[in-house]
Amino acid sequence: MKDKLLSLALFLHRSKKYKAYKQFARDLLFDSNNIYKRYFDLTIIFLVISSVLILIYEVKNPVPLWLDNYDIYFVSIIFAIEYLLRLWVHNDLSDMIIKEYNDSKFLLKDFNLFGVVKAGLYEKLKYMLTPSAIVDLLAILPAYRPLRVLRVFILFRVFKLLRYTKSINQFVDVLVNKKFELLTLLFLLLFIVFTSGIAIYILEADKNANIHTLFDGIYWAIVTISTVGYGDISPVTDIGRAISILIIVSGIAMISFVTSVIVSAFSERLNELKEHRIIEQMNKSRSFLIICGYGQLTKMFFRQNRKHIDNYVIMDNDKERVEAAKKDGYVAIHENASSFETLNKFDNQYADITVLCLTSSDVENIYITLNAKSISRKIKVIARVNDPETIDKFKYAGADEILMPNMVANTMIYTAITQPTMYKAIHAILTGKSIANIDEIHVHHSHGMVDRQIKELDFKSSKLLFIGIQREGEFIFNPPSTEQIQAYDILLVMGRKISLEYFKSMHEGDISVKK
Amino acid sequence: MSKNKIAIFGYGNHGKFIAKGLFSDGFDITIIESDKNFYKDAKADHFENVFLIDVTKDSELKDVVLASFEQLVCVMDDEHLNVFLTLSLRSLFKDSYILSISDSLNVTKKLKMAGANKVIDLYEVSANKIYNILDRPVATKLLEGFVSNRDGITFKEMLIPEGSFLDGEMADDIDFSKYGVLLVGMIDEEMGHTFVFVTAGIEHKLDSGDTIVCIGSKEKLDTFYKEIKKRKSSL
Repeated sequence: MKDKLLSLALFLHRSKKYKAYKQFARDLLFDSNNIYKRYFDLTIIFLVISSVLILIYEVKNPVPLWLDNYDIYFVSIIFAIEYLLRLWVHNDLSDMIIKEYNDSKFLLKDFNLFGVVKAGLYEKLKYMLTPSAIVDLLAILPAYRPLRVLRVFILFRVFKLLRYTKSINQFVDVLVNKKFELLTLLFLLLFIVFTSGIAIYILEADKNANIHTLFDGIYWAIVTISTVGYGDISPVTDIGRAISILIIVSGIAMISFVTSVIVSAFSERLNELKEHRIIEQMNKSRSFLIICGYGQLTKMFFRQNRKHIDNYVIMDNDKERVEAAKKDGYVAIHENASSFETLNKFDNQYADITVLCLTSSDVENIYITLNAKSISRKIKVIARVNDPETIDKFKYAGADEILMPNMVANTMIYTAITQPTMYKAIHAILTGKSIANIDEIHVHHSHGMVDRQIKELDFKSSKLLFIGIQREGEFIFNPPSTEQIQAYDILLVMGRKISLEYFKSMHEGDISVKK
Repeated sequence: MSKNKIAIFGYGNHGKFIAKGLFSDGFDITIIESDKNFYKDAKADHFENVFLIDVTKDSELKDVVLASFEQLVCVMDDEHLNVFLTLSLRSLFKDSYILSISDSLNVTKKLKMAGANKVIDLYEVSANKIYNILDRPVATKLLEGFVSNRDGITFKEMLIPEGSFLDGEMADDIDFSKYGVLLVGMIDEEMGHTFVFVTAGIEHKLDSGDTIVCIGSKEKLDTFYKEIKKRKSSL
């Protein structure tokens, strides 16, 4: 028996297929990036809703046999499979056995199969006792025909939907934070309900026609303390009414207390929840901007009336500035961008993140740069530098682009003085005015332009000015017209926006232009 | 380029850079400061015409600032002082070209009201640069090189002299690439004093007195500049 189990565990441990299946099941159930998970979730949601609709319909109308069978067998079987899958992927029993076996061999002690199996099963049992697992189990129960009462458990299928709503989790989260207050109140409530319920039972059971059992007394106490007051049971003696008065007064106090605890818990975490929502929203997109600091430069950045930016979030650790940003209509969160946790909340695996460090402090900007780069090298960082002496530090920190507002402005002033005509041109080009866009055309390896000569492309008739080619890091200015375009070239072209777009679409092929 | 007389107010963050750049390009500059330390800095950097005055006093301004200055550049570190100075200069010298630096939208507005001919917003140009880096990183880097690099590929503006072979020609008919330069645009005096990009799609006739802006390597631009001075007949 022992040997058989061990060899089975060994077989499973070594089987690549088994591992792959298990991983697939795990991804299907948990990995929100899995493409099939969406369909799986939709199926479960459909099954739940259809099942509940059948239950409602059934109350007043006869249900055709096939529908009944669908509800009882098909839905239940799918749910049972789901339940077993979840149980299966919860932990790896075979791996545990093998590990224990190897360990005991290494330590030259007796291999205790029973112990490790027990531990593994205990893990699974622990999972079975979690609320969501219990809901899953209850959702299968209606399949047991002989007990029609179990039909009611179909309602538990609705609870399965809770898995798909994040707000419930957040709600529970908030309540868990106030566990101490809420539990204290609950015990107080139970104390009052039971004592007054017992009191009314003792005092009125023989005088009040409506109170027969202790349950009636407790039921009355709860109806009264909650200020619901159905009135089906009401005290008839003076002492009973006195108890009612006490219970009602304490009930009002307690309800307002509970309400205020929950409300304060929420308002404490409201910002956090909102910010969480913002981050989650951003993580859904493929690329986004994180702008650190809401100062002059950031304000200017947004006021440029350039292309509309959707996926961004402003982050500042000064509350007032965050409020100002919100007032100006921007998405802003009050977070410290130099903390690892903050930036790590963003999905740095799948999305292209660009961090703009625009705070007025170099120290802060360097720290954010380092922070972003330590999370993932893939994160692009554009850093603002105020003191020219810190440029080297920014380079060491790994900033992809360095921006020196003073330098940029100085160059512009300098140009404005020395070459006033050109200043207009350069300014127009730099600010991307529509008449003078300098744009880059990225030549993909399967691009229609590859291997063609420059003269064939006829920039002139497209009203474009061809300036040069950036090839392998070198810029070739105004290459001869016989030069051939190579894959991965970047063509630098100037012209009106519409000309550029038309040109790009004309040579479409498989154009991949950085947006 | 003619040796323009330029007065720079302020030898702080911006003034230093601009003054040094202009000086090395051979401009005749005068530095005016109201801060003792900056004044000493300017002296230490071997500038000849450096004055320490209270820029809020019109009488002192009149003493040092002469009408012969072609451009007045206000780059004081203190923005309030900068606005005040711009205002005083405008009231004193009605026809001068005043260029000021600003570090916020509000200041830009005030400077314009105060009468600055050109206001360069510190953050506006930087904000635009961020857009450019995000949108077209390669082009931005190259462009920046064109603007700041003096040896490599750069822009140059040239006045078409009387009788040049370009005079009267259509811009499209001239093959600039054989000179190794590209025509970016021009200021056409016939069409009002506006800058027109060559890609705007309008037919341009080049006349003497027009200014053309070309892009190319420094030597090529210089040779081309000599070339356009040649008469039509000499070609």
